[in-house]
Amino acid sequence: MIVCVSVVGHQNNPLYIQSFTDADDALKLHHIVHCSLDVIEERVNNPKKSGTTLNEAFLGLLYPTVNYKVYGYLTNTKVKFILVTTDLDVRDTDVRSFFRKFHAAYVDAVSNPFHVPGKKITSRTFAQTVSNIVGSYGLN
Amino acid sequence: MVREVAESCVDTMLMEMVAMYSGRFYANKPELAARRIEAIGYQVGHQLSERYTMERPRFSDHLEAIKFICKDFWSEVFKKQIDNLKTNHRGTFVLQDNKFRWLSRVSIDPSPEKETEDPLSTPGESKAAQAVSMYLYFPCGIIRGVLSNLGIPCAVSADISSLPTCSFVIRVKA
Repeated sequence: MIVCVSVVGHQNNPLYIQSFTDADDALKLHHIVHCSLDVIEERVNNPKKSGTTLNEAFLGLLYPTVNYKVYGYLTNTKVKFILVTTDLDVRDTDVRSFFRKFHAAYVDAVSNPFHVPGKKITSRTFAQTVSNIVGSYGLN
Repeated sequence: MVREVAESCVDTMLMEMVAMYSGRFYANKPELAARRIEAIGYQVGHQLSERYTMERPRFSDHLEAIKFICKDFWSEVFKKQIDNLKTNHRGTFVLQDNKFRWLSRVSIDPSPEKETEDPLSTPGESKAAQAVSMYLYFPCGIIRGVLSNLGIPCAVSADISSLPTCSFVIRVKA
């Protein structure tokens, strides 16, 4: 089950954080997202040690904590998408297709002329689209 | 769901934007009008770059990003590719478009209206050059917006010594 999705800008400023659990641990999820930014930096700056290809957008599993798994995705414009999930068996293809749809929704939200680049995404359409993508994740 | 817009609408909007900014908003201050138009182009370039880099893997260096602008980005926006790319390998790139789409309908009245005393100046040419240059701030802003969103701060200027050929000079800030 997806617990949290987040969009972080190129200066590591949060643009969008949304959690999908009823529990009150939103702060813990923020903390997890923040820590995963360090892992992304490490992966991008040291490609030889981690083994991932330099040019791929999908970064894969960033680090597994006790209860959660964190996946990362880095766009060409240095915007990072973070996905936190509690599933134990996660298929690579599911996560990749999730990020593809999420990227499309993000591009639509940023193309809004009233959106100021660098500020938080306040579009309700984006929030709705993200909820739909999360809802349909893993159902196929 | 792809929605299409007639190209004449884009042309008309660009003409009206230049006319409004240089004629009404900043009537006697062409530098300010130019700066505003370039800022609009910057935001448009910023947003377009998000959309057009979506499918691509990440760029490894500046030359890759410039080549992306010359090929994919230019064909998305202007339906053709850049005809000539020159670089001095020290941060300056010249993109030459032999038939710049947004200037294809521009014609300049070659006859100057009155004589001037200064024999060195050619008033008809300089007025024409200034009139056309207002239309180039928007594409310069677009290019600057795309590059800065890809992490490459730069300054972009346009050179129209021979219409309809248009050159964009990109100077990357090191």
